[in-house]
Amino acid sequence: MEKQYSENYIREELMVIEASRFIKSTDTVILGTGLPMVAAIFAQKTHAPDVNFVVESGSIDPILPFAPLTVADPIIGNKAVKTGSLREVLGCLVQRGLVDIGFLGGAEIDRFGNINSTYIGDPRSPKVRFPGSGGANCIASCVPKIMIISLHEKRRFPARVQFITSPGYIDGPDGRKKAGLRMAKPDIIVITDLCVMQINPGTGMLELAKLMPEVTRDDVYNNTGFEPRQRKESGLVELPTEGELAILRNEVDPNHIYLKEPSGG
Amino acid sequence: MSKVSKEIKVMTAQEAVKKFVFDGAVIGMGGQNVSRCAVALTHEIIRQGKKDLTLTGCNLSIHMDLMVGAGLVKKCESGLGGLGRFGATFQFKRAIEEKRMETEDFDHLTMVSRFLAGEMGIPFIPVRGLLGSDILNYQAASTKKKFETISNPWNQQEKVVLVPAMQPDVSIVHVQKADEIGNVLIQGIASHEPELIRASRATIVSCEEIVPIKFFRSHSDSTTIPYHYVDAVVHQQYGAYPTATYGYYSFDADHINYYQQCARVGGEEYKRYMNEYIYECETFDDFLEKCGGIKKVTHLEREMLRLM
Repeated sequence: MEKQYSENYIREELMVIEASRFIKSTDTVILGTGLPMVAAIFAQKTHAPDVNFVVESGSIDPILPFAPLTVADPIIGNKAVKTGSLREVLGCLVQRGLVDIGFLGGAEIDRFGNINSTYIGDPRSPKVRFPGSGGANCIASCVPKIMIISLHEKRRFPARVQFITSPGYIDGPDGRKKAGLRMAKPDIIVITDLCVMQINPGTGMLELAKLMPEVTRDDVYNNTGFEPRQRKESGLVELPTEGELAILRNEVDPNHIYLKEPSGG
Repeated sequence: MSKVSKEIKVMTAQEAVKKFVFDGAVIGMGGQNVSRCAVALTHEIIRQGKKDLTLTGCNLSIHMDLMVGAGLVKKCESGLGGLGRFGATFQFKRAIEEKRMETEDFDHLTMVSRFLAGEMGIPFIPVRGLLGSDILNYQAASTKKKFETISNPWNQQEKVVLVPAMQPDVSIVHVQKADEIGNVLIQGIASHEPELIRASRATIVSCEEIVPIKFFRSHSDSTTIPYHYVDAVVHQQYGAYPTATYGYYSFDADHINYYQQCARVGGEEYKRYMNEYIYECETFDDFLEKCGGIKKVTHLEREMLRLM
C-alpha cells in the first residue's frame, strides 16, 4: 500500500516522528522527561509495539496510554511488570548494560555530542544554573545508543559545551576510552527541527546525516556553533503520513502538552 | 544497644520535627518531582525554623525549593534540582546564581549508590558513570573529598570512580501506609527511598493511612521497609500535597503553577506565599483548607482513580 504522506505538520512533530524511527521493537529504552517520551510512546503505538520501556524513577516495562507529564507522573507505573526503585533501573539495568537506548536532552550539545545540563558560565560563579544531571550522566556513560532531541538554535549547539554533565566523545574519537568509560564508542544521534546529526566514531564528531524537508545545509550551519561535516549519503527526513500524525496528535499527546498543531490545520 | 525500637512511634509532625531535626542536620529528602514529596514535614521544618541544613536526595523538588526559599539551606547534595515540565526550582536556581548556597552535584545513580553504601554500613562504593564529565572537576568548598578514581584491583585496565557512603542525619519521606511501630509500605514507584531510609540515622515518615501491624505480618513479602529504620510515624492525609501520592490522589497542577509563579518572581510575592500558606498555618490541615479543602482533595482523588 502506498503511504499517504502529509504536508500538514509542524517541524517539531516530524522531529518526534523521526526520532521514533530509530527505535526498534526489540529495544529496551530508558525514557526521559519531555519529547523523548513522546517519541518513544509514538514508536510503541506504531512500528515498535513490543519495545520495552524503563523509567528511572523505578517503572519497569509500563504500558503508557499517552505521554506522561514527567518521569515521576503517577501514570508512569501504569501496567508495569514491576514498579521498583531508581537503583533497579539506573543501576541494575542501565549500569549493568541491559538498556539499548537512552534519550537525553540538555541546555547545550557540542560537536562531540557532550551535553551540558548544569551551568552556563564558570561553575564557581555561574551565570545560569540548570537542573543538573538527574539520570543523564549514568545513561550517557553506559548505553550503546544515545539519542538527543532538541530544538535547533545556535546557543544550544556551541562548538564546546561550558560544562560536560553527560559525556559524548569528550574531545575526540578516543575521548571516552581515555576517560575510562567502558562504553567507548556509543552511537549518538541528535534529532532537531532542522536535521539529524550522527556521531562518526572515527572522528568522535557529529556529522550531518539528514536534513528536514525544505531545510538547507546552510540553514543548519547558520544555526550551529560548529560545521558538522555533511555525509555523502545524507538525504532527507521522510515526511510523516496522515496516519502517523493522527496517532501522534490524538493518542500520544492528546492534550497537546508537548506539541502544538499546525495553525489553521 | 542499637537504636532499633519496637515502641509505638506515632506522633505529630510538630513533635517529630522537634525531636529529630536539628540545626545543621543533613536531611534526606524522599519524593521525586511531582510525586510523594514530604511537603507536610517540610512545612513543619520551615515553621520551626531549623537552619543551616544540607539537603540530599536524587531529584530535589518543590519541598527542597520551599526550604531554600525560607533561607534554611546551606548546601544541596543531589542528582538534580528541578520540577520537570513545571520548570526550574527557582529559589534553588537563584540561591546558586547569587552564591548564597553551595551545591555538590552528582547524578542520580551515584546518589542512590551512596545511600546503598550507607545502608550497608560500608564506607564507599564504585560507580561506572562520572568519568570524563565536569561533575568530577568541580566540588563545593565545604566538601572534603568528593571522589577517588581507581583501577579495578582485579582488572587494572578498568577505571571506576569511588564515592563516599551517605548517611543523612534524618530523612523525611511520605508514604502510603505505615503501622504504629514504623513498618512502611510504598506503593507505585519507590525512587531512591528504600536505600535512603535504610541509610539514614533517623527517619520520619508521614503516611496516608496507619494500618495495624497484622497488615504487614500477613503480607510480609510486600513490606518496603521494616520498623528498624523508622523513628517517627506521622499520620497526615494528603501529606504530599500539592504533589501526588500514587493510589490516593494526583498532583495539583494549579497550586504547583501558582507556587512556581511566586518562586520565580521572588521578593514580596514569594514572602506572601510563604506567610499565607506556611507561617500563618498552625498545621498542615490548615494549609489544605486554604488550598480548597475537601473539594480540592476529592477532585484530586478522582483524578487518581481515573488513572488506576
